[in-house]
Amino acid sequence: MTVRVRQVHLLNVERCQPEPAELWDAVTEQQLTDWENEWVPELLKAIERLEREGIESRHWPQSSHWNWRKKVEALRGMLASPGFSIVCDGLTQGMMIVDTVKKRCRIDNQKGKPLVYVEFVENAPWNRRELCDSPRYRGVGSILMRAAIELSVESEFGGRIGLHSLSQAHDFYAYLWHDGPWRRF
Amino acid sequence: MNTRKTMTLNLTEAEMQVLGSLSEKKDLSKTALLRQALRMYQLIEARLENGEKLFFEDEKTKEKAEVMML
Repeated sequence: MTVRVRQVHLLNVERCQPEPAELWDAVTEQQLTDWENEWVPELLKAIERLEREGIESRHWPQSSHWNWRKKVEALRGMLASPGFSIVCDGLTQGMMIVDTVKKRCRIDNQKGKPLVYVEFVENAPWNRRELCDSPRYRGVGSILMRAAIELSVESEFGGRIGLHSLSQAHDFYAYLWHDGPWRRF
Repeated sequence: MNTRKTMTLNLTEAEMQVLGSLSEKKDLSKTALLRQALRMYQLIEARLENGEKLFFEDEKTKEKAEVMML
């Protein structure tokens, strides 16, 4: 499999400076290994901490049951379901799987037109404000959303994308829509 | 996007008309439409091979009709 790698930048929160990163147009074995060896233990630690602090389980990460290996293996080789990932500091910082076939636009003036539908998108646990006091990197979600929009443009879908967000992520998408880089498209 | 290769496609007049009309309806070039059709065909084929069935459902009556793929 040929992976296209593009240079991007994430914001290193501690240094308050941009740091070079890579946007891959695939989720490879390297990402799945990072997920198993780095993400899952970190996520479990964060959940244990939330539990100790008496946070109700409905406030725990809603994506914590996602098994990226199963998802990627089920979709391997499928043209309709490309994946993307961001690598920075030698580690996977975010992953996304989109669908280009099964969903269509619903709003009246675009009804029935094709779009890129974001099936799954997740940030590494150490970048999530709800899981750690000082996230390492910012910009992962925005770059992945931009990748979905660029795929939509390349596929001649006019930049149209769609998703159903987990309720914990509503604020993020509201930010992108009203104030964020989304406005440029 | 990965490097692309070019191929010549031989279509009948009727097939060409359908391709033209669908690409206009979907606001896609003929290449983009065929690429989209290939993605869909691969997806359907994989799910059928996996033992699943393909249905169309009437939105109002909820009546289901299986699409027989032989």
